[in-house]
Amino acid sequence: MTYTSIKSEGDFPYDLRVAHLYGDLMNTYGDNGNILMLKYVGEKLGARMTFDIVSLEDDFNADDYDLVFFGGGQDYEQFIVSQDLPTKAVEIKRFIENDGTMLAICGGFQFLGKYYIEASGRKIDGISAMDHYTLNQENNRFIGDIEIHNDEFDETYYGFENHQGRTFLAENQKPLGRVIIGQGNNNEDGTEGMTYKNVFGSYFHGPILSRNARLAYRIVSTAFHQKYPDVAIPAFENILADETKGQRITDIKRKVEK
Amino acid sequence: MTFKSSLAVFSGKSSQFILQKFFKRGSTFPGRLALKIDPKILDTIARDYEIVVVTGTNGKTLTTALTVGILENAFGQIATNTTGANMITGIVSTFLSAKRNKTGKNIAVLEIDEASLPAVTEYITPSLFVFTNIFRDQMDRYGEIYTTYDFIIKGAAKAPNATVLLNGDSPLFNSKALVNPVKYYGFDHEHHAPKRAHYNTEGIVCPNCHHILDYTMNTYANLGDYICQNCGFHRPELDYRLTELTNITNTTSEFVIDGATYHINVGGLYNIYNALAAVSVAEFFGLESSLITQGFNNSHAVFGRQESFNVGDKRCTLVLIKNPVGANQVLDMMKLAPYPFALVALLNANYADGIDTSWIWDANFETIHDLDVTSVITGGVRHTEMARRIRVSGFNPDKITESEKLADVLDLIEQQDSEHVYILATYTAMLEMREILANRHYVNGEMK
Repeated sequence: MTYTSIKSEGDFPYDLRVAHLYGDLMNTYGDNGNILMLKYVGEKLGARMTFDIVSLEDDFNADDYDLVFFGGGQDYEQFIVSQDLPTKAVEIKRFIENDGTMLAICGGFQFLGKYYIEASGRKIDGISAMDHYTLNQENNRFIGDIEIHNDEFDETYYGFENHQGRTFLAENQKPLGRVIIGQGNNNEDGTEGMTYKNVFGSYFHGPILSRNARLAYRIVSTAFHQKYPDVAIPAFENILADETKGQRITDIKRKVEK
Repeated sequence: MTFKSSLAVFSGKSSQFILQKFFKRGSTFPGRLALKIDPKILDTIARDYEIVVVTGTNGKTLTTALTVGILENAFGQIATNTTGANMITGIVSTFLSAKRNKTGKNIAVLEIDEASLPAVTEYITPSLFVFTNIFRDQMDRYGEIYTTYDFIIKGAAKAPNATVLLNGDSPLFNSKALVNPVKYYGFDHEHHAPKRAHYNTEGIVCPNCHHILDYTMNTYANLGDYICQNCGFHRPELDYRLTELTNITNTTSEFVIDGATYHINVGGLYNIYNALAAVSVAEFFGLESSLITQGFNNSHAVFGRQESFNVGDKRCTLVLIKNPVGANQVLDMMKLAPYPFALVALLNANYADGIDTSWIWDANFETIHDLDVTSVITGGVRHTEMARRIRVSGFNPDKITESEKLADVLDLIEQQDSEHVYILATYTAMLEMREILANRHYVNGEMK
């Protein structure tokens, strides 16, 4: 049963509706902070933000939402989600192909691709909205502070990665950035995350949107322009300049050896 | 005792003596030294102890301290690792320094780190385990909650005759059959129509049929009287039950367990769970409620978990926060404060704190709107991230002050208008803050 988890209070001239896919199952590593940042930034753009949990056995209708957030989960929960996802796959793909704005982190990012292999070796199908795929690795995770640069936007993003999967992008996907510090998608090709149409994927926790206010602004304003193409929005510097402070950290740390 | 283990014990004890005598510190070094000389040293030094092991994400330290208070009252000297040295080196150090109980049985109550448990039970054979709970903790170290649970089950299975006392309110603790005998403790004080836990709660999947659990009583996080509306999976029958919360404030708790009323000088529902676990251990050992009550009165407040002191004319309470569930419980406890207060939040990202600070976004700082908070000061290495967390909750940004250096934070505290101050701090921030407080003679410098 889909239900509204959070909603802006007060008067706002605009409305943005966000689907939080499997928000009650896919919510590890502080990714709830992305929801809170979407709300924070959306409100600064004058939008009343409404978040719906769309989970197991719920219908997802692409037309109902302006923005979709798909977070990561633990293997156990992700397996359960993988069995329900086929019922939503067609609509999720329609949302993406219609230039819907979406942020997918970690497991959510993996699920949009063809498949991923769990640590145990079990292969889990994604919805093939895109052609990236994810392999496993033996007794290792990529854990630690990470920094990447997006050359197209000329923005640097900061975060914390913590993943077992090694993801390889398809030709029609661009990385969210090239790795400056850290391991990224697979520790081989120097890519981290992906962009495709208005979809942003990444392994970043931190959460990604709290550590990267410019990306948060980019994502929310993309969704806003889709819905209100003629409305001008305030410039980043006027509403979020404070939020870039402290995003770059100097005490870079990588994983603790067990 | 072999020559090797004698040498190990001798080296460990001498280094402990020297460290304590001349450097006023002990902790884990002697254990590390003894282990180097004889890796099986625990086998020797822990042999004639009856051992109770407390493990889980939250509540290990207070549960251990309360249990020690009760058992000490009933049986005399108890060996325990009160300094929070809960990995294998700390356990060895504990036994090295333990004084023998002159009146009878040697009993040890140990808090053991979840990931260390299988290594420790390789060498010691506990007679009782207590599993408090498993929540998201320092994920950069442990990984998923299911992995953590597997660790501690594996640890307990090495002492298959030992009973495991589990928190019956945790669905995770009912998800796998243990080889050990089990008993459950839990809350049974109220019930309502079944409903979901907060959406950002983990560990709420039915282990039988993979539907999402509902709760007819939800104390906090995923704890409570759960039921799967799809397959009927439900909380196990409780062996030890809390039936009433009679008086709950931010600094004290009074409640009824198995017909007896108890009182502890600490606030917070999570601490009542710790008391419930300790009472369950006492009942397991057949102790009368009068002995338990006396034991609670003898329990020493646990260093840093919740400590009060004055800074100038400000009444301060310092509380450790280390993960979202713990932080939420502290926020809930502060709701009961009958006075306005300034809130200080200190966030470090050292290895002992967890190097991934994402967790502060899982903590429900939105609760701040239900608290009578006059102003917020953030400090520590990640003070800007902490300030952002508070800002994003909707708290007035003009009332937030940031300062990386904790000495400056202390100055700011002195300048606050409100008489009361709550200081939330991650582990290394707490140690650092305590050292500054001790240097300025606001608190006694020695750790208990």
